[in-house]
Amino acid sequence: MDAQALDAILGSTPGERAESWHFSRNAVRALAQQNFVSVDPSLTPSADVVRALDLPLTRGRRIVFVNGVYSALHSDDAQLGKTPGLRVRHDSANRIELIVSAPVTQPLHLVYLSIPGEVPGFWAARCVIRLQDGAQLDLVEQHLGTTGAEIFGRVDCDFAIAAQARMRVSCLSDLADNVSLLRALHCNVGAQAAFETTQAHCGGRLQRIESTIGLAAQQACLRERGVFALRGRQHVDIHLDVRHRARDTSSDVDWRGVADQRARGILHGAIVVAQGADGTDAKLQNKNLLLSAHAEIDAQPILEIYADEVKAAHGATVGQLDERALFYLRSRGIGMMPARAMLIDAFCREIYAHVADEGLRGLFAALLSRHLLLSTQVAS
Amino acid sequence: MILDSMCQANRSDDNMRNAHAMGKQMLKIENLHVRVAGKEILKGLTLDVGAGQVHAIMGPNGAGKSTLGNVLAGREGYEITRGSVEYDGANLLDLTPEQRAAAGVFLAFQYPVEIPGVNNTYFLRTALNAQRKQRGEAELDSMQFLKLVREKLRVLHISDELLHRAVNAGFSGGEKKRNEIFQMALLEPRLAILDETDSGLDIDAMKLVADGVNHMRDPGRAFVVITHYQRLLDYIVPDFVHVMVDGRIVESGDKTLALKLEEHGYAWIAERKILDNVHAGAA
Repeated sequence: MDAQALDAILGSTPGERAESWHFSRNAVRALAQQNFVSVDPSLTPSADVVRALDLPLTRGRRIVFVNGVYSALHSDDAQLGKTPGLRVRHDSANRIELIVSAPVTQPLHLVYLSIPGEVPGFWAARCVIRLQDGAQLDLVEQHLGTTGAEIFGRVDCDFAIAAQARMRVSCLSDLADNVSLLRALHCNVGAQAAFETTQAHCGGRLQRIESTIGLAAQQACLRERGVFALRGRQHVDIHLDVRHRARDTSSDVDWRGVADQRARGILHGAIVVAQGADGTDAKLQNKNLLLSAHAEIDAQPILEIYADEVKAAHGATVGQLDERALFYLRSRGIGMMPARAMLIDAFCREIYAHVADEGLRGLFAALLSRHLLLSTQVAS
Repeated sequence: MILDSMCQANRSDDNMRNAHAMGKQMLKIENLHVRVAGKEILKGLTLDVGAGQVHAIMGPNGAGKSTLGNVLAGREGYEITRGSVEYDGANLLDLTPEQRAAAGVFLAFQYPVEIPGVNNTYFLRTALNAQRKQRGEAELDSMQFLKLVREKLRVLHISDELLHRAVNAGFSGGEKKRNEIFQMALLEPRLAILDETDSGLDIDAMKLVADGVNHMRDPGRAFVVITHYQRLLDYIVPDFVHVMVDGRIVESGDKTLALKLEEHGYAWIAERKILDNVHAGAA
């Protein structure tokens, strides 16, 4: 793939690729060696994969994309059409638009499946969500990719949350090592509106989770909790850009990373407080755990402030498991591996502990423990 | 094999056997030398502890008291350069910390570690069941475990509030020490080492710690109580008091030794040693 083709699938200019993809340049170089062609639209998920999509919390309210194409077969069109306050539009097979005009009481499930074919494949999809004044929406967004040939999927999300509306997104990715994902979100948050996200990203050859969040009117608020858990040669690049553009806006971001073996994680978290955005309250915290001498996590917190009256705090740490805590657990009879698992699990758990639904909390826990091999450690 | 034999010994709660065990040697430390970060801290410590006994170890700051506790519990970073530690006739130093715990060794930490995100009840149940599993005993289900927990809380007059929190996270100094004693009561060790559990406690909290220990005194169980002050020993009456100075036990006696120390201070021991040496020289 030449540089032009690479920029086309990454949605970048050569300059941006040099700058904002700086820490992922090796992963991008590896990607560029593949000859991606548009993925075969006739590929379908196995029965096991479909079964795994069932979530009691969202049963009957599911929208599924298979390799970037909306799948009527696996989606619950009829029921979604009857949901009060929700309108679903498809302009094309690769695009979905949700218009939310009132509080939608039950959460929706949005799934993006990457099903590889015989040759390296590429797909792209777009999701537009508009919350009108006072509307509410809870969304579980899941990215799943199965083993096979290389596959690269790209989802462009365009969210707009109008005044006094509230949107809550739980975003989980669970990718096999041959799967790459770029999720690029642009979100605009209106007056007294709130955007809350809880994210967990696991696996994949390259995952790039880009978010540009504009707190565009007074008292707009962002609360983001996220964790990534990596091993092998997995690579996750979190690129967060929070822009406080109006008075009395607030952001509270907490990201955690765990990397084992030769995995690589990147957390770029930028907070920009524009001129006139006085009364801003911004907080960005990033804690990382390295489980191996060969793993690497780059934390890059950035704070740019152009207003006068601002409360802003940011901090990043990269460390190893606390030896004192490990000894404390072992001195009570808990073996080395289960004690390690207990501490890693606790480190991740703080990110999703607030999730109210037990089933959804269990989904976060199972995803992280499976990718970090915690359950086998506890059993041993 | 070593662990098996120790676990066998730990398994029995038979009072007859315990009565028989009273005074039987449990822990035998001989000429123990330990280095930490290249510096020798224990310099030939010798100590025998029999089943059913309470030994108090007193001494000034820096004498090596906490090092002794950590070495017995199996903490890494302590280099044993000479000497031996036998527990129930086998080499304790061969065992991992978790094996020692399963064999009945318990250290109440001077500074209990805060572990955010790990629920205290989950931690205690995992610990108890891990020990039981290592000893070949059946694991307790949640109902059996909760019954046991309630019983221990009642005996110790501790509120169940600390069960719902993360392990020691945000606990006051007193709550952390209480949690240590609660863990000791729940895990029912055969050799409990209390590392300055009284430090930083008010008189009521100290009584609670002492009650916990006294309640567990048993012909088959031994305690090593490390403390700076004589006050704790008003409530936990020791069978033996040892004074540790500069990595060695320099004086042993009964409970009256603690009172003398309280009156004269540790300097008194050092002066007496000098006098002893003078007399020895004159003779």
